[in-house]
Amino acid sequence: MIELTFVGADGARKTVTAPEGTSVMQAARDHDIEAIRAECGGAMACATCHCYVDDADAGKVGTACEDERDMLDFAETELRETSRLSCQIRLTPALNGLTVHLPDAQI
Amino acid sequence: MPQAPFDDTITYNQLVNDPYAVYRRLRAETPVVRVKAVGRTMITKAADTRAIKDDAALWSSDDPNTPMERAFHAHTLMRKDGEEHKRERMAMAPTFSPKNLKTIWGPAYEKLANEYLDRLPRDEVVDLFPTLAGPLAARILAVILGIPGASDDQMQHWSQALIDGAGNFGWDREPFERVDHAHVAMNAEIERMIPKLKAEPDETALSVMINAEDPLRISQIFGNIKIAIGGGINEPRDALLTILYGLLTNPEQLEEVKRTGAWGDAFEEGVRWVAPIQVSSRRATEDAVVGGCDIPKGDVVMTIQASANHDEDIWDAPEKYDALRKRSPHQSFGSGPHHCLGTHLARMMLGKIMLPLIFERFPNIELVAPETVVWKGFGFRGPLNLPVRLN
Ligand code: HEM
Ligand code: FES
Repeated sequence: MIELTFVGADGARKTVTAPEGTSVMQAARDHDIEAIRAECGGAMACATCHCYVDDADAGKVGTACEDERDMLDFAETELRETSRLSCQIRLTPALNGLTVHLPDAQI
Repeated sequence: MPQAPFDDTITYNQLVNDPYAVYRRLRAETPVVRVKAVGRTMITKAADTRAIKDDAALWSSDDPNTPMERAFHAHTLMRKDGEEHKRERMAMAPTFSPKNLKTIWGPAYEKLANEYLDRLPRDEVVDLFPTLAGPLAARILAVILGIPGASDDQMQHWSQALIDGAGNFGWDREPFERVDHAHVAMNAEIERMIPKLKAEPDETALSVMINAEDPLRISQIFGNIKIAIGGGINEPRDALLTILYGLLTNPEQLEEVKRTGAWGDAFEEGVRWVAPIQVSSRRATEDAVVGGCDIPKGDVVMTIQASANHDEDIWDAPEKYDALRKRSPHQSFGSGPHHCLGTHLARMMLGKIMLPLIFERFPNIELVAPETVVWKGFGFRGPLNLPVRLN
């Protein structure tokens, strides 16, 4: 199992575990993290699963591919260097201890 | 668990004319209920409708006993599941990519919107349904699909014929005959374009599908184009009329939106308030439980996003249009694998382009006799007319 922590826009932290291979989006949905809306269910079609990877983890997670960056333009909140669509981040052992920050709106 | 309660008091007419009053009562009294008039179980609370659409393994989109296949002359992607659905959807998806929306379809829509607004007469009463909302939605879709030779009237007629056929639960002859004629004309138009688009490929849906490396079968390609015709005109049309009605009957909101430029909020609130597609059906592939009620395997439920969008658990005074309310996620574009493929297109056309443009061109646009506006529809809903004076 991989451990990861979600930090809400209000600063509230929630640490959860999820099986290797699941996406960060799925981990959030499985633990009722409502700030990840994920309307398209992970098809990279909605941009309602936007998150900010913690600066400390950004190198490990990597950057968005071109299609993901294009879709991120439809995200509701401001984009930062660490912006990702959480459905496109797969949990691997290397990401154990990952922290992601949640925006205050997805639509 | 008990079976869902049975309601034989609701009439089909009530659902067509005043559905929100019915749903308000159902949410309060029997949020999961078998409704005799539609022969289906209605799901009316936001948490339940969302959970069903997100669990596509348990809830199939394939409802075999509807007239849709007969009307579309095809088993279309809207009624498919899993990999089969994904392949057909992805074949058309490149056309709707964010890049294409920004660089091709956005500018194309803006140009068309200006042309259609230019044609509207000033200082007399004009109905925006047949003069703007309907034809403009038809035109941009014809362009995006790659069948620009189809006229506005043809596109609207085909779309209505497909919708009426797919909704022909009485299996009457006339709607099927009408849609059969429409297919002859649609097929001719699509076939006429194929050699052209093979010779000069572009980003339109037809071109992208026929020129793909591993193309769909030709019948699937035709089916996809027809799904888009059936599902891409009336929603933006009805959404535009609904939002204009909401803003014009609430002038203080309109002034504030003009001041802040929050046209996106005006758009989202409009589609929340009256969802252009009010209902989506799903079939239980296993015995299931929804809202404390047993739904046996094989049963078809109607997830009522119109009702989910008025759920008192989420919104205060949900029956009011309020462009200034704090946004909460509505379900008007559905969710899960069938999440609307035109979501970003619709947001861009209406929220980014048309709304600011129409109020800039006609700052004193006024709704004439709002009480004469007729709202109708159970599956799809919107105003049937919008009489305004432009100046
Ligand atoms: C305000 C405008 C619109 C609204 C409210 C809307 C709503 C919806 C909804 C609720 C669904 C899901 C149906 C289900 O779950 O069974 C859907 C699907 C779909 N929509 Fe839209 N729509 C809009 C505009 C458009 C436009 C402009 C297009 C352009 C082609 C379009 C194309 C589609 C397609 C192809 C699907 C089927 C997706 C699939 O089954 O995978 N929509 N729409
Ligand atoms: S869930 Fe829709 S883009 Fe990630």
